Amino acid sequence: MESKKKVLLIDDDKDFLMATKLILEKGGYEVFLAEDGKSGVEMSKSVSPDIAIIDMMMETWSEGFNVVSKLRTSDSGKQIPLIMLSAVDLQGPYQSFEPPDDLPSVDLVLHKPIKADELLNHLGRLLRM
Amino acid sequence: MEDRDSVPARILIIDDEASILDGCRQSLEKSGHTVITTSEGPEGIRLAREKRPELAFVDLKMPSCSGMDIIELLSRDLPDIVLIVITGYASIVSAVEAMKKGAYDYLPKPFTPDQIRAVTKRGLEHRSLKIEADRLREEKERMEKNFITFVSHEMRSPLVTIQQYIETLKVIASDCFTDESKEIIDRCEKRLQNLHELVEHWLDLARIENGTFSEAKVPLSLSSIIERSIEELTPLCLKRELTLEAHLKNSLPKIMGDQESLLRVFTNIIGNATKYTPAGGKICVDTEYDDFYIYASITDTGTGIPQDKIPFIFEPFFRVKGKDERQKGSGLGLTFVKKIMDAHDGKIEVCSQVGVGTTFTLKFPRLYEL
Repeated sequence: MESKKKVLLIDDDKDFLMATKLILEKGGYEVFLAEDGKSGVEMSKSVSPDIAIIDMMMETWSEGFNVVSKLRTSDSGKQIPLIMLSAVDLQGPYQSFEPPDDLPSVDLVLHKPIKADELLNHLGRLLRM
Repeated sequence: MEDRDSVPARILIIDDEASILDGCRQSLEKSGHTVITTSEGPEGIRLAREKRPELAFVDLKMPSCSGMDIIELLSRDLPDIVLIVITGYASIVSAVEAMKKGAYDYLPKPFTPDQIRAVTKRGLEHRSLKIEADRLREEKERMEKNFITFVSHEMRSPLVTIQQYIETLKVIASDCFTDESKEIIDRCEKRLQNLHELVEHWLDLARIENGTFSEAKVPLSLSSIIERSIEELTPLCLKRELTLEAHLKNSLPKIMGDQESLLRVFTNIIGNATKYTPAGGKICVDTEYDDFYIYASITDTGTGIPQDKIPFIFEPFFRVKGKDERQKGSGLGLTFVKKIMDAHDGKIEVCSQVGVGTTFTLKFPRLYEL
């Protein structure tokens, strides 16, 4: 039997982690959870996930970008697809934010709440590539 | 008359007549004020900058320099200072001119000690009211900004999490649900979606009102925005068995506008039309222009709005009650549309006939590029 693909999910909202974990498990993935950016980056080293999903707004509203850039420069995160989650549009209180020139690239941005079939379709597509 | 009401203040008097300086000093010191005097204009300006008096009397006619220039300079340099001109009866006209340049009041010569104390008291009261008003305005702006941030974090995120839980529930447990339970979950989901929409609309309005809404206006064509809104709403119209079509003029002249907010103007109005148009109906978007304006109209074959209700439809939370109580929106959609149109120097007009349909016409100033 083919071993399950590993998904690392990083979000500081425990309920959101729980809800999304169940969807991912139903989709046949092995799921690893991290509640903040720092432990997420550490966990990526120990579990070597096949894909990571990162919330943009955690302790600070742009913490997700920090996590992505750390993952992109680490051995375990360099090659894998990364999905960024966002609940805000950047027109709000954060409109003065100017993304740095070296903004790390993600493979996909999804807006919360996420539709289950949409999430699973995207994961399947990104992991086949 | 003792003036016990005036809070002691620093008062500067600039006048070339020694007797006036003395008289003023005596009258005002009696009320507990600290008085600084000078007979020279330039020295007066220096003293005002250095001692920061709350109030200054300035004689309009002095041999060394013009009182008018001093008024103009001080009101620009020291926005909190209250300036009062001292003037002879013959020069009321120049007193008026001085007030236009920033003086708050004038004191005609000759004056009694009571008169100068009364004018001083009024001037100081005006100053503290102005400072208080400024403080309150700043406080209000700060609170509004904080409240928007609060709402976007503290209301939106639990809402999103609940929506996510419901989505999860459908995925992991749908086999165990009876049709009845499924119906309940669907209803929960719809109500949550309405609540989410309300929060989003409310945030949009709050942002427009306190000026944080992005208004990056650029020259743009309404055609592309209408096309995008139609693309966005076609699936909904298919579901509700409505025909949605656009007749767009080729080479429609451009307007100055904010892409995203205009897109929401169109999706809002067309979205409304889908709510109030029965299945089999039609929604049509047309464009037109003349030398001054670009027009876009959205016409539906819906239930229509009674004439007496039309004046209220842009008010927050106003709804035209129909037979079909399922037609629920946030109640802020059209309020938002109106604000966006105002921000574009545009107009919105409504024409409706009950049982026949409604036409919303948007009118934008045409852009002439040099």
